[in-house]
Amino acid sequence: MNKDENALWSIFGYLLSGLLVWGGVGWALDHFLGTSFLLLVGLVVGAGAAITIIWFRFGRE
Amino acid sequence: MLNLRFEGEGFTPPGTKDFNLPSLIEGNPYFTKPILQLFLAVILISVFFILASRKAAVVPSKLQFAGESIYGFVRKGLGEDIIGHEFMRFVPFLFTLFTFILVNNIFGIVPLIQFPSMSHVSFPYVLAIFAYGVFHWIGIKKQGFFHYMKGIMFLPGVPKWSYVLLTPLEIATYFLIRPLTLSLRLFANMFAGHLLLLVFILGGEHMLMSDAIGLKIVSIFGFSLGIVMTFFEFMVQCLQAYIFTLLTALYIAGALADEH
Repeated sequence: MNKDENALWSIFGYLLSGLLVWGGVGWALDHFLGTSFLLLVGLVVGAGAAITIIWFRFGRE
Repeated sequence: MLNLRFEGEGFTPPGTKDFNLPSLIEGNPYFTKPILQLFLAVILISVFFILASRKAAVVPSKLQFAGESIYGFVRKGLGEDIIGHEFMRFVPFLFTLFTFILVNNIFGIVPLIQFPSMSHVSFPYVLAIFAYGVFHWIGIKKQGFFHYMKGIMFLPGVPKWSYVLLTPLEIATYFLIRPLTLSLRLFANMFAGHLLLLVFILGGEHMLMSDAIGLKIVSIFGFSLGIVMTFFEFMVQCLQAYIFTLLTALYIAGALADEH
């Protein structure tokens, strides 16, 4: 029960920070380079990285 | 409804301005109602638990039983079950957090007070900073600074190159997202809940005071939903106090664990 609850909130945090951090990097690059697709790439990379962390931290127990 | 349009003054919906309460003391802009409530909460909690524990007996009185139930709930449910064998050190901190947030939240539905202190974002921020300081300090003290940071930053078992992607995420999660979500969750719930009650009750009042007989009748629904929402808010207020303390306990448990 505790492990599940712990995992739940941590997963939420990781997903959020994944989108914010790499989505933010993508957005900033878009802003300075004048492109428009890097935000999307950043969001996808961030979500992927977050899921990777979740997989390795919680998936193998 | 047509009548409403032709009235001299329309209904002004409640908004953020309803949270900016004036100062209670002339000349001191900081002593507002939420600040007073914080002091009131401290006094109420202290008096309650002093009375509850003063004449402690093997066969408890009702008051002692109530006090012990709350203490036992925090100690067992939030301390022992989550933190593990070292939990006793953290029970006072968790207990203070829980009761303080709980009482301040419930002020939102107590008649004549009816303002949740935690709907001012600075109070949850301060509580989150305490929790943040405690769990990082515990982690650094227990594992040593470099070992603790290594545990946070480098996830074991993934290829080395992927640290470029993952390490910023881990740092953001531990040092930014955790305290932010902790405080914003509490703040947003209290803010939205208070606004919800204001909408139903002020809306009901406005309809009751209007000239149209139809609106006077409909205002019953406004008030009754206000009452339903008050019970709903009570649930949310208890739940948010619990979740804040639960997450703090979980973070402490995470900092204590050596598995990183």
